[in-house]
Parts: sequence; C-alpha cells; structure tokens
Amino acid sequence: MIKIPSYIHFIKPGMMTSVQDLGRFGMAGYGVPYSGAMDRFSLAQVNFLLANPKGAAALEMSNLGPEMVFERPTRIVFAGAEAEIMLNAKRKIKNGQVIEIMENDHILISNFKRGQWLYMGIQGGFETEEVAESKSWYPQITPRERMIKNDEICYLSEEERFYPPVEAKAKVRTDWYRPSKLMVFPGPEWGMLSQLLQNRILKKTFSISDLINRMAYQLTEEITNELPSILTAPVYPGTVQLTPSGKLLLLMRDAQVTGGYPRILQIDNVSLNVLSQKRSGEKIKFSILS
Amino acid sequence: MEIQYFLTHEKLVEFSWPPIISEEILLELEKVTVYLKEVYGEGIKEIRKGYNILSLRLYVSISEQDCRDLIKEFKKLPQNDTIPTAITWRLPLVYGGEEGKDLVKLARIHDMDPEEIIQRHSNSVYRLYFYGFLPGFMYLGGMDPKLYTPRKESPERIISKGTVAIGGHQTGIYPMDSPGGWHAIGKCPVNFFDIKSNPPVLIQTGDCIRFVPIESQAFEEIRNLSSQGKYHLTHD
Repeated sequence: MIKIPSYIHFIKPGMMTSVQDLGRFGMAGYGVPYSGAMDRFSLAQVNFLLANPKGAAALEMSNLGPEMVFERPTRIVFAGAEAEIMLNAKRKIKNGQVIEIMENDHILISNFKRGQWLYMGIQGGFETEEVAESKSWYPQITPRERMIKNDEICYLSEEERFYPPVEAKAKVRTDWYRPSKLMVFPGPEWGMLSQLLQNRILKKTFSISDLINRMAYQLTEEITNELPSILTAPVYPGTVQLTPSGKLLLLMRDAQVTGGYPRILQIDNVSLNVLSQKRSGEKIKFSILS
Repeated sequence: MEIQYFLTHEKLVEFSWPPIISEEILLELEKVTVYLKEVYGEGIKEIRKGYNILSLRLYVSISEQDCRDLIKEFKKLPQNDTIPTAITWRLPLVYGGEEGKDLVKLARIHDMDPEEIIQRHSNSVYRLYFYGFLPGFMYLGGMDPKLYTPRKESPERIISKGTVAIGGHQTGIYPMDSPGGWHAIGKCPVNFFDIKSNPPVLIQTGDCIRFVPIESQAFEEIRNLSSQGKYHLTHD
C-alpha cells in the first residue's frame, strides 16, 4: 500500500489547537512535563474507531474551533466535546462517525456546546515531529506549541485503497463527563489541614473558574487556610494544590513537575478525564476514594 | 535521619526526609534512588525528586508494609560522604548590564556594591539538587545567605533564556524564555538543555556549579560556539 505524505491546511487555527498523543514520559527528572491529551479517554476512542495504535497522535481542539482543508483522502473521526462540525459547509458530522475524507474536503468546527476538548483522530495518526518519544506539543520542547493561521500538519494518505469507502458510525456518548463528583486520594499535605477544613472541602460544591488551560484549572471558590508553603516537591497531573491565598489549583497534563504549594488531594485518573471536559462555571465536588 | 512515607495510592508513594535543604539529604536521596532501582527495576515508572522528597511511581503495587520495610532497608544502606561521580562545572556568566538588569537594584536592596554581589555570587559552589519548574531548570543550593532576596511582588512577563537570577534563598538559570519573579543579575551564554540529546542535560543531580565572571565580548563568542555545539563546559 502506498502512503503519501499529505497535509491539512489550517485556514483558521482555532484558539487552543494542538497535536497530542499519550504524552512524554521518563523526562520529568529533567523538568519536562508529561503533556499529552487532556482527555485521554476521548483520544483512546478516536484511535480505537480508526483501528489506530492506542497512542496515535490526534488533533486536540477547544473553543474556538479551527477551519481546515485536507490535501488528499483519509479517514477521520471525532470524540470528546460536542461542537458543530461541518463538512464542506453542508453536512453536519457527529462524534463517533468515521468520515471518508476526499481531496480538498473542508471542515469547520464551531459552537462548542458541551465539554472543553474535542479530538479528531486521523487514519494512522499524525506524522508530526516526534521529540523524546512523543508528538505532544509543548512550548519550547516541540517546534510548535499551538496551531497558527496557515499552518499545516502532516498525515499519510493511502493512494490505493483496498476497501470501498464505508462510513462506520459508532455511538460515542458524552454523558460520562457529566457527573460533578471527582474521585480523589488524600495528598501528602491533606493531613496538615484541620478536620474542619477537610470536611469543608469535601462537602463544598466548587465551580471551575475561567482560568483554564493545559497546565491547570483554577476553582472559583477559595478555602481560607493557614497551611505553610512546603519545600518544592514533586507534583503530577491531577494534583490539587491549595495556595496560601486560598486558591485551589487542579494541575493538568502540562503541569510543571514540581511545586511549592501544599498538595492536598490527588485526582484519580478516570476523574481527571472527566474534569478536563468541565467548562468554566461547571460544578465539581471531591469525593475520597477509600 | 527520620524518613517518613506517604502512600497516595498503591502505585504512588513518596518518601520524605526532614524539610530542610541539606547535602546530607541529597546524598541519602541519591543512595535510595540507586537502591530502589535495584529492588524494583522495570517495575518503576518514574522517580521524581524535590529537596527532601523522593516520589516513586510504580507499575506494580506497593503496600504500607512494603513502605515500612523499605525505610528499614534505606537505613541499613552504607553512609556516603560524597557523591563519587559528582563533577564541579564552571559556568561562564556575564554579570550586570542589559543581561542582569536587576543587579544594581539588588545591590541597593542589600546595601552593597554591585561588585560585592558579583563576588559573593561567584565565590560559592552550588549543588544541583533536582530539575523542576521548567524543562532544564536547576534547583541549586549553596547561595551565600547575604544574597537571600524575596521574589518580586509581580513577576516579569518574560525572563529570557540564559538569565541568571536570585529568588528567595535560591539562584537559578532560566533554560528557556519564561515569566518569572526572580531578580536578574546576569546571563550565561551556554545552552544547558537539549531535549534531542539523551540525557537532555550535561549537569546531573548531585553535580556542583561554580559561576565564572566573563566580559561581554567573551559572552558573544561563547554563545556562538555554544549554539553550534562547539563549546564545551569545563570542570574542576
């Protein structure tokens, strides 16, 4: 089978569009964050539907979505956030539909209705530059950090196909990220909080502030506390930090590898995907896993 | 020294020593790292360190009892007085001027001449405890306490790559452009971090650093050589 390097051309880049895979591991000892898809479950879904390797690189998008043109045929599928996805300005695409893309096909993504991150998988995964065994974009580690206008990303188009163009349609649900309850483990400094503060944190309903990015989500409500800062210590995606001013920082995939704020909770991996899809203003609660 | 453990879940545990910055603890962390690699081998997903904390991520499960047993074993490990492989690197650095725009201000804060700041900063030998904050950012211990300076109240939008700065009880070199609240006192022309090399850094945890003041002409020369990969750091 002949595979031809082909490009998706971005007429509009979107706000936070990047290429992500499962992330960059084994480099944290040198200060390099994991990175990788904010919602690993949706990344796994698009790759599964295309029979790609589990960690194939996909396009991660958020409001505002991008506008793109495909150079040659391929197959794509979407999962994660619910947005309006238009093919050639006339056909609406749903998440989970495997789409046969033809030469010069045009995709426009807009109007994110639910969820924060949308993933577009492509047959075989993207052929973008791999750095330290990962294609996940991260500032000053990979050549690119965010998609910019008129940029292009490479994929392999199959010149000859041995299968007829059949469009499969899987039902991809989005209700899995509706629950507000996040499962957490107590973090190393949880025990430094008084019983009263612990109870307050576990009973409270928090809302996601508008400070949302790939490094951290900040909560709106504050927890007044007298915890001292700690000596800089390891942190991970999913670590919940409580700052002296009472802010709660929920560290995400691009989180730094160490931090100096008390680490009060650690969000479970499944809940971290749920959290990633929360939007500004949505509610969350912490629930301790026993 | 007292060692505690905290088991976040069955595949994530951290061992902690008293919360102080000390070479004695660094030596223990290095020793324990070697031991854990022997015991768990391929079962280790990652080891991350802070000044007094070793965080261990595993593919296999670990129990409370395992943690207690490990600590007993840690205590039996032979004492090391030094890190046998440690190297003392000499880092060229141009102080003040455009590259170290906060030097004069810092001197004023401490009621010293800029010369004295330079002298105190370049007379110390710094120990690399761990990498964190940014890719390639070194957490160094050993700064002259007379140079301790609280961080700026509001961080600068961009501190450029190579900037040497002082913040709190620490000094550090920005390996890439980044926002930051430290006081810039100079600039180092050498590239320390290259993600495409394996390992991506030359200076290893436990190594030492000495800053060698240079003139701005030498800075340009070294920078050009360094960017072509032709400059080689010297060490004691």
